[in-house]
Amino acid sequence: MARQFAYYPGCVAEFSSKELNATTKALAPLLDIELLPMPQATCCGAGDIAEAKPNLYLTLNVRILSEAEEMGADILTICNVCTLNLRRANKMVKEDPRLLEQVNADLVNAGARPYQGTIDVTHLLWYLATEEGLSLLEERGPRGLNGLRVAPYYGCQLLRPSSVMGFEDPDRPQSLERLITALGGEVADYDGKTRCCGFPIILAREEVALKESHVALSGARDAGAQAMVTPCPLCHLAMDAYQRKTEQLMGEEYAMPVLHLPQLIGLALGLPTQSMEFKRHFTPVDDVLETVGA
Amino acid sequence: MASTTFRVFRYQPDSGESESYHQDFRLDHEEKTTILDALLRIQNEQDGTLAVRYSCRSAICGSCACKVNGKTVLACMTQVEEAKAESGADTLQVDPIGNFAPIKDLVVDMTPFWEKFKAVKPFLIPDGPAPDKERLVPKAAMEKVAKESACILCAACYSECNSLAADPEFVGPAAFAWGYRFAADERDAQRKNRAKLYSGDHGIWDCTRCMFCNERCPKGVDPRDAIEKLGAIAFQEKVTKDKGARHAKAFLISMRQGGKLNEQLVGGYTDPVGGVFNAPLALRMLQKGKLPKSPLTHKVKDRDQVTKLIKNVKETI
Amino acid sequence: MRTHDVVVVGAGLAGMRAAIAAHEAGVDVALVTKLHPVRSHSGAAQGGINAALGNETEDSTENHTFDTVKGADYIGDQDAIEILCQRAPLEVYQLEHWGAVFSRQEDSGKIAQRPFGGAGFPRTCYAADLTGLVILHTLYTVCVKYNIPTYEEWFVTDLVTDDSGNAVGVVAYDMIHGSIETIGAKAVVMATGGAGRVYRPSTNAHASTGDAMSLALRKGVPLKDMEFMQFHPTTLAANGVLVTEGARGEGGYLLNKDGDRFMSKYAPNKLELASRDVVSRAEATEIMEGRGVDGCVLLDLRHLGRDRIMERLPQIRELAIAFAGTDPIEEPIPIRPGAHYHMGGVHVDNWGAAPHMPGLFAAGECSCVSVHGANRLGGNSLLEAVVFGARAGEASAAYAQDVGEPDVPSNAAAETQDRIEELLLRENGPRQGEIRDELAAVMQEKVGVFRSDGPLREAKATVTELKEKFQGVVVDDKGRTFNTDLIHTIETGYLLDLADTMVTGAIARHESRGAHSRTDFTERDDENWMKHTLAYLDDGEIRLDYSPVTMTKYEPQVRSY
Repeated sequence: MARQFAYYPGCVAEFSSKELNATTKALAPLLDIELLPMPQATCCGAGDIAEAKPNLYLTLNVRILSEAEEMGADILTICNVCTLNLRRANKMVKEDPRLLEQVNADLVNAGARPYQGTIDVTHLLWYLATEEGLSLLEERGPRGLNGLRVAPYYGCQLLRPSSVMGFEDPDRPQSLERLITALGGEVADYDGKTRCCGFPIILAREEVALKESHVALSGARDAGAQAMVTPCPLCHLAMDAYQRKTEQLMGEEYAMPVLHLPQLIGLALGLPTQSMEFKRHFTPVDDVLETVGA
Repeated sequence: MASTTFRVFRYQPDSGESESYHQDFRLDHEEKTTILDALLRIQNEQDGTLAVRYSCRSAICGSCACKVNGKTVLACMTQVEEAKAESGADTLQVDPIGNFAPIKDLVVDMTPFWEKFKAVKPFLIPDGPAPDKERLVPKAAMEKVAKESACILCAACYSECNSLAADPEFVGPAAFAWGYRFAADERDAQRKNRAKLYSGDHGIWDCTRCMFCNERCPKGVDPRDAIEKLGAIAFQEKVTKDKGARHAKAFLISMRQGGKLNEQLVGGYTDPVGGVFNAPLALRMLQKGKLPKSPLTHKVKDRDQVTKLIKNVKETI
Repeated sequence: MRTHDVVVVGAGLAGMRAAIAAHEAGVDVALVTKLHPVRSHSGAAQGGINAALGNETEDSTENHTFDTVKGADYIGDQDAIEILCQRAPLEVYQLEHWGAVFSRQEDSGKIAQRPFGGAGFPRTCYAADLTGLVILHTLYTVCVKYNIPTYEEWFVTDLVTDDSGNAVGVVAYDMIHGSIETIGAKAVVMATGGAGRVYRPSTNAHASTGDAMSLALRKGVPLKDMEFMQFHPTTLAANGVLVTEGARGEGGYLLNKDGDRFMSKYAPNKLELASRDVVSRAEATEIMEGRGVDGCVLLDLRHLGRDRIMERLPQIRELAIAFAGTDPIEEPIPIRPGAHYHMGGVHVDNWGAAPHMPGLFAAGECSCVSVHGANRLGGNSLLEAVVFGARAGEASAAYAQDVGEPDVPSNAAAETQDRIEELLLRENGPRQGEIRDELAAVMQEKVGVFRSDGPLREAKATVTELKEKFQGVVVDDKGRTFNTDLIHTIETGYLLDLADTMVTGAIARHESRGAHSRTDFTERDDENWMKHTLAYLDDGEIRLDYSPVTMTKYEPQVRSY
């Protein structure tokens, strides 16, 4: 029996990191997941709409939650930022009935469905990093990662603030490490795996953002990682698409392939390489594919 | 009874040592002992040269912020046994807060912190003469600044601020929490000017949203939320020239257009002038197939609902 | 050497308020603090500041005055108390005008007021349970606005006088740069707060070591009413941390081990909101007579409900969870009396001027006007700090505008330097910690809530011994920079002086009045003892004298709650 989720890939996974969406969709059946589309769902606003119009941010996100509720399914995300935004909106209205009432009044006024507060939002990483998820991965992986040395990179918004996220200890997260190990890889641990990649300000304050990225990129490199894995397409853009720029700014070399979480899983489970669209990456993943035997 | 090794950061300029180092102190102690209690006992019983700031021991004076096994806390409110359990370690490493230069051991130079605090004009600037009695302020209005009023200026939020680590001139979470506390105070008459003052280089739009400040604040101030609210105030006051504000505007425009993010718009709109220098990157993105080929943005179903919400949802900031 | 017109030592509520007043009077005023202004212990005050605003019920400054006079058990100076209560509304409005975030009434938008101990009407203005913090911050923002020069982390070690005995400045240890500096001034305002650290447990911060009182005492200025130490009824057993009276003001109950609201026996009218000395004695009695729970009684807030506690008492809930392991929403908090505030201090007049030393002023807890007499009402300390801080600021500014340039002895810093170097050179001897521990233990045991001649004399003997021992004290840290060992050692010296005045005064006062409660002299004796104690330090010994109490309208009555 497949587990049904209202699938919320977010905007970047569908466009500038579309390889993420493609891989997730290809992977889902192998994980007994059915991804239900959400045709009404808008952008979650990232942190930006909240920073401009906080009430609008809340209402738009509750509208997304309501759409999932109508389908009778929890939301599955594949992006840190979407996860934080949706969960935060969910927490705010679940904890304050008067607030929910106000938001629903606005929704109904606009012809949208009011939200009853019954569904939850979870990230693919959280879904898989449970005992059942990990055993599933262990048993489903015909290829395994063949000892590929992977640096886990969490970024920020999947962990903090822990009062909203709360899946694991924000300072000692282990979900990616457990996953890497279950898939047959080796963990390259380093400080900086929970530091910011800088993406939220990469357009408005590029230099600051790249200096931030440097911390994780250099940490992973110095830990001897062959690749980094991240559960967030925005972090992916910052550390992959902007990697050359960061190298130039910092006078460093990383040569670090960055994998999306579903791609790491796909490699282990034997998804056809084509379907994971590695050609969209800026940093070549050839060495990774060779080690894994893809 | 319990026993713990404390690996404490030492920096002793008087001794002629120019380098810092860590020194181990072993202490037998009651189960219920705070980090501060332990440090004071070490100071009293083992090494009187250990320097640490502290006073109230009840999380109100803000003196004793430090890092314990990498996590910024108030020493007076952190139980030794709990810290050990949390990090699964028997040794606790105690370091000064991050992003500040050490003066001696755990005592850091707080000068930049106080300067940044003063830079936000952290005092009420009302309009006109004061009434005879108190200014009447509705309870709900005063409660808008209740969270930020609990800030004890301990600098825990600066310790792991990722923007500050990359840009030492970033004004910082606590300063902006205070900035919001005044901008949102209905007795203050400088809302627009504050929005202008807090924008620009090293200002609110430099916050990288790493959420370390919200996570670490021992008083529940949520400085990141305050920065977010300052952004909303800036929008309300039409102070939106900063590239960070333009970035947010691009999202709003995208919502009006179709409901999903228009990525081609965001790059150009955020930085119409400097963005030109990103043309090579944009070109590569296009080549890699990372940009939608069509300039028409994806439109969500029942888009009219979104349009109505954008038009009608009132901002209560 | 730096000079200012007025130098204010201590940057808590009283200090900053004085500096602001002096600045507004047009003089060059500077603040000196061994911490940073926002670290001052004023910030730990929780429950509120009193003023007869009449926002909740009808009230009047006369009512406030009477309650304070009675609370003081009739040795508060009634003219000073009248000033305190009459100026109160003005000062509270001024704080609000400066931006203080007071809690507001639901409908009217006026400053909300809660009931407090010993008050006939609800007149305690509050900011949740962070009132001290809010006012401290408000004053600091004004100091920032006025750009008042502040010497932060400068530990004052000496009060400097000229040949005629006028106060002309201070000597301080600059902790960051490791140097001894002189600050000359035409007037010196002392505002260094309390000395609760003479006891253990105490609600006071580590920094509350009574610095100015000792410095003044050593220069021949008497300290007044030092035997009156307030034990706050509700402090956490683990470490003495304060739980605000506001918890009782919001309706909390005090229960013994049988679940009885025992205050009905001791204060049938006011119950939990009797004056603090009455409540502390009641608790101590219950505990001594075996009706306590692990040396405590219970503060029960459960019936207030989650919403009320989260809105009005959030901070004390956090403290109870952290230090007592109890969530007051679910369980009663175990509490007991703890040393909290001392009514005594540097003897000053209604303007904060020290009659024994021209140019010296004092305000706040380190001073004794006296507005609190033998016992202080909750909410009157924050009030005193701002009312008399402002007055001391005004008076010191006026004084400074009148006198000529200060004649600061050129060797003031050098003398201090020598003394400190001698202290640092010493190799063998006790460290300050063991002396301080012994002092705190003996004060707690023998000069506590209940006193009697035998134990008091024993305490005096111990204090004398410790003072002797202190002559050979050794400092471990021989460094220049941020030498906290040196500072703690000097502070311990201050505590010893002050403990001596407290014990000596207590031995001599043969009555029970306010917080000074004797099992061998159980009644108040107005005929012989309605007077202030003055303690002088003469050649290392404490010599006592007495001065009359000023009465205006209120004849002493039987004091019951």
